[in-house]
Amino acid sequence: MTTAARSAPAGPPAGLDPDAAQAAIEHCYEQGWSDGLPLVPATQPLVDKFLAAAGRSPDEVIGRLPQLDRVVTVRLAAINAALAGCRPEYFPVVLAAWEALMRERATGGGGWQSTSGPAPLIVVNGPVRAELGFNAAGGAFGPGFRPNATVPRAIGLIVRNVYGIHPHELEQATQGLPGRWSICLAENEEESPWPPLASEAGLPDGTSAVSATLLRTCEFVDNRHTSSAEQLLRDFADTIGRSGSWIFQYAAAGVVFCPEHAQLLAGAGFDRTQVRAWLAERCGRSTAELARAGKDGLDGRVRLPGDGEPAAHFQRMLSSDDRENLLIAVAGARNAGISMVVRLFADWSGAAVPVARPDAASRTTDKHEES
Amino acid sequence: MPNAILDPTGRADFAPAARPRGLVLAPRPPGLAGLRVGLMNNTKHNAALLLAEIGKLLAAEHAEASVTVAETKPNFAAPAPADLIERYRRECDVVITGVGDCGSCSASAVADGILFEQAGLPAAVICSDAFAVTATAMAELRGAPDYRYIVTEHPVAVLDAEQVRERAKRLAPEVVALLTARAGQ
Repeated sequence: MTTAARSAPAGPPAGLDPDAAQAAIEHCYEQGWSDGLPLVPATQPLVDKFLAAAGRSPDEVIGRLPQLDRVVTVRLAAINAALAGCRPEYFPVVLAAWEALMRERATGGGGWQSTSGPAPLIVVNGPVRAELGFNAAGGAFGPGFRPNATVPRAIGLIVRNVYGIHPHELEQATQGLPGRWSICLAENEEESPWPPLASEAGLPDGTSAVSATLLRTCEFVDNRHTSSAEQLLRDFADTIGRSGSWIFQYAAAGVVFCPEHAQLLAGAGFDRTQVRAWLAERCGRSTAELARAGKDGLDGRVRLPGDGEPAAHFQRMLSSDDRENLLIAVAGARNAGISMVVRLFADWSGAAVPVARPDAASRTTDKHEES
Repeated sequence: MPNAILDPTGRADFAPAARPRGLVLAPRPPGLAGLRVGLMNNTKHNAALLLAEIGKLLAAEHAEASVTVAETKPNFAAPAPADLIERYRRECDVVITGVGDCGSCSASAVADGILFEQAGLPAAVICSDAFAVTATAMAELRGAPDYRYIVTEHPVAVLDAEQVRERAKRLAPEVVALLTARAGQ
């Protein structure tokens, strides 16, 4: 035992053993379980609380990658959610996020192993946001809030530990991207002029639900000086239509609007569908512009150098104005005109998965107790 | 007595039964003369051309060898489906596949090679050297850590047609060695 002979603060609260905690954390590192940050060592009593919160069979299979002979069960997901630092009551959100991601084509194929190193983008709607303390306002992309930070981390740990997809081995991300395993937004429904994202996906208003897709990066649009919806949308169209992220005939994107931008657009009469239709028509580049980047031609689905003709022809980036090609959500503070364009790995499933909480009412009053 | 720290990998529950150790390669013919060659391209850029060029060279250099199947895998990220493997088994004597040129397709190319060997077909998998680690990781996962595949310099996708033909010439002898008794294992 070591002794802390500092003047303040005093020793740990009664019953806590920080030295034992540190040793347990190191043990987790030594097993190769960590994404680089410390893990919460998972014990059976802790994991039992996660399983109780989900109310699902621990042996239920919720994901498989046949090419790697790996299977994710509810129990393994719970262990990884515990490691990630989730509280037990977050676990139904983790499961909904996982299920939403399973609906993305790439997650059942090679997406997690890809050179592009895509990051889940997780969007939470409904009462669960406030009940669990998700941040929907300032700093929506993080960090600073336990549910927002630990739910996507849980997804990353499932991929790492259960699928066994480790960087430099089965995971071949060339550079990866900032925010991988850490982007979980709660939609700012209170300051959004539009119905929640989950409602657009067909769920009743007021449903706690998760939508998710894979993204390759984010890019901000800072525009706080126009009152014209068209000027504002033009700024988004220009940003979305860049050639760098455009590798196939079409590309999919998304916009996480700040409340100010969303309200400006809504004030000018734009709902989500109209925003998407406007952008679908105008996001893109001329063949001549694409030719300068060697992306004006097509070989099958892949862009490569073409003949640059007809030079003035405008090539659209989005294949249609369906929501699968342009996810629109609202998050952040109502303090500046700063929104985020997100670039999708592939098209989005367009689905929202309800958060299933068997005894939500009783658990919201549950106090923080550790065994 | 403190609680045990739980293992988040589940390896103990699933792995042993699913992973037979050791791969017995398909018997190698003494040479390629008279044999039917299958090509399976995985959709990566230049894969079809590289395989076709290697196929031509083999046909030209080995009496009455010919390419009988040249198919494209339906999903580069996943191992080839059983019916496709079966088609090669029926219509070919040896198979060449690739190009492992991305995170998932390099791993799955090696998985395909192992599937072909298990179906009794000598196979040559071509993989970019930038993805050798992930290709080998898949071989280990399939219980064949010593599985041999052909490594070629990265990148393949940016080569022009002439460069692809040049690459095919350099790789052809390695392919022959791996598919025939000269493989030595």
